[in-house]
Amino acid sequence: MSAELKARILRAAAAEASPTRAAVRRRNTFISMVAAFSGIGAFVIFAVLMSESHLLRLGGEVAPQQRLERPVWLVIATVGGALGVAATAVWLALWRGRSMLGRSRRPLLYGGVLIPVSLLAWKVGCSIAFGDAMMAWPERPGERCLSLSLIVAVGPLVSFLAIRRNAPVRPALNGAVMGLAAGACAWVAVDLWCPVAYVPHLLLGHVLPLFVLACAGALLGYALLSVRTR
Amino acid sequence: MERYARGDEAAFAELYDAIAPRLLGFLRKATRDTFAAEDLMQQTLLHMHRARGSFIPGAAVRPWAFAIARRLVADSARRRRVEQRLFSDAPADDDRITYEPTAATALADDLVHARRLESRLQERIDALPELQRTAYRLLQQEGLSLKKAAEVLGTSVTAVKLKAHRAYVALRAVLRETEEA
Repeated sequence: MSAELKARILRAAAAEASPTRAAVRRRNTFISMVAAFSGIGAFVIFAVLMSESHLLRLGGEVAPQQRLERPVWLVIATVGGALGVAATAVWLALWRGRSMLGRSRRPLLYGGVLIPVSLLAWKVGCSIAFGDAMMAWPERPGERCLSLSLIVAVGPLVSFLAIRRNAPVRPALNGAVMGLAAGACAWVAVDLWCPVAYVPHLLLGHVLPLFVLACAGALLGYALLSVRTR
Repeated sequence: MERYARGDEAAFAELYDAIAPRLLGFLRKATRDTFAAEDLMQQTLLHMHRARGSFIPGAAVRPWAFAIARRLVADSARRRRVEQRLFSDAPADDDRITYEPTAATALADDLVHARRLESRLQERIDALPELQRTAYRLLQQEGLSLKKAAEVLGTSVTAVKLKAHRAYVALRAVLRETEEA
């Protein structure tokens, strides 16, 4: 091993500033707060613009002259369950366990399958228990929920990528799980706003954005988290 | 690494001493080019330097370093291929430096035989698929455990066993052919 090589590498490292753990913690806290505000802000703006009367729409007009009121307990149950799944998804996407290389392929793949399935199953299960919410709403095909999900999820997805910064192995898969986690966070917001539990609406407005975000996350993960030569 | 993550700048020299020799050996075998190996080692260590703030207390450093190095080797090979395709007039990468075993006391015939065998084994190793080659190197040449090698390769322990086994089978075939010849 040449001493010249060691001196060159030490010089190069000294010339390039790198944050310590304390600085990274501060930076990540700041990024998380910005992401949370961006998600909440996007939700509030969207909900104010898109709701005719009030922000937290517990019900709505199914068809002309036919209204449906969503029970508060149904809202609490669906949002609570979605919140639990979203928290698990964020933990899966950002927590690397005891290894610098992050999670192995299997938990990431299982998470990728289970996150959308459990969100949909919980929503449908709760709605079946309360009955009326499962009815068809022809005036709400789901495009507004699709837009809301994507708008709310952008901030969290960017923040997850910024917090993780690099993934020497499986960057695309890690990015996809981050996309799903961001989508799960957006699901909670959409669940607060949308009273519809009609399955075709859920598939278009609530589940499709999860897949769009997973694909976007995979592409961004591959582009931004991969280790590359300079 | 833990001290370095907390901000002890002097710890980087110790980190270098602890991992650089094996890392450089791994990169030399992977690239078969001393200058490229040194350049990639510098990039690997600078990558670790940049990511020190996100180091997990108690995490293993060597698999992390090897995983970064492996990605950098793959990326630099990909870049070289792209550059060669773009500038097809550029000379092929045939100025590789190989390291020959020194055997001062060996007989000339043995030395010739050993060199021939080494060259054939090296050719066979180079011809292996990338995952098989890296699995073999991590297990046999770097002494990593199956679990750590699986982490570096981003695959399961069973897959690493299978890939290393295929590499052994290929290398054993070379040895058998040489013995028969």
